[in-house]
Amino acid sequence: MKFLNKNTIKIDKELNELDKFVLDFIKILKKHTNYVIISGYVSLLFGRARGTEDIDIFIEEITKESFIKLYQDIERKYWCLNSDDVNEIYSYLKDGLPIRVAIKDQTIPNFKIKLAKNLLDKEAFKDSIIVKTTLGELKISSLERQIAFKKYYLKSDKDLEDSKHIETLFKKNINYNKVEEYKRLIENAKTKNR
Amino acid sequence: MQKLKTDKDNKQERMNFVEYWADFVKNNPDKIWSKQQKILIDSQIENARNFKISRKDYLEIKKK
Repeated sequence: MKFLNKNTIKIDKELNELDKFVLDFIKILKKHTNYVIISGYVSLLFGRARGTEDIDIFIEEITKESFIKLYQDIERKYWCLNSDDVNEIYSYLKDGLPIRVAIKDQTIPNFKIKLAKNLLDKEAFKDSIIVKTTLGELKISSLERQIAFKKYYLKSDKDLEDSKHIETLFKKNINYNKVEEYKRLIENAKTKNR
Repeated sequence: MQKLKTDKDNKQERMNFVEYWADFVKNNPDKIWSKQQKILIDSQIENARNFKISRKDYLEIKKK
């Protein structure tokens, strides 16, 4: 894998079933809304030796009409685990709750989709990275955001390991001032929520 | 290729392996490491797809 420029990485990996599952779904999602993949799947995309049951995705604010069109497209192949009622699904998103989408009649793996509502969520779109694979492109949040969230917010063993993987792999490309900035944003957000 | 460091502490030993594997990924062509990753992930996906659980039960588990 290599950086083509500061916002684009080319990866020539042999794609696994999870990668194909994500690429398939993103083809639909990106026709209707802006998205960014965050958290665990990002480290898996870059080779981390572990599985996952869900892929976390932020989508930008979307009108109900646009969401209904998106959902009509999604439900040709997938179903929502939370509800079959598109109005209810949309209201969950608007309330800041995540929804989970899997292939029809299956539950795992699934996409955990949230609307980017607060400043910290929205930041994920600003410095996103395009990853070019042999079967299409994926948009992920920045490596610095990944590291900061995993090290300073989520902090489970799994998250610290994910962060270690990314840091070891991309050592020279990581801007640690940006990691610190994210750390500060996370701490401010935590203080506000108290 | 660096040698894998061992440790009595389970957490540290796991972290050593993460670093060892990331170093392997970094220093080998994508096609090489991804073949190994594919075996692991594809088998997990196959197991997950054969694991029949209702939407309701799955969401209950996630709440806990």
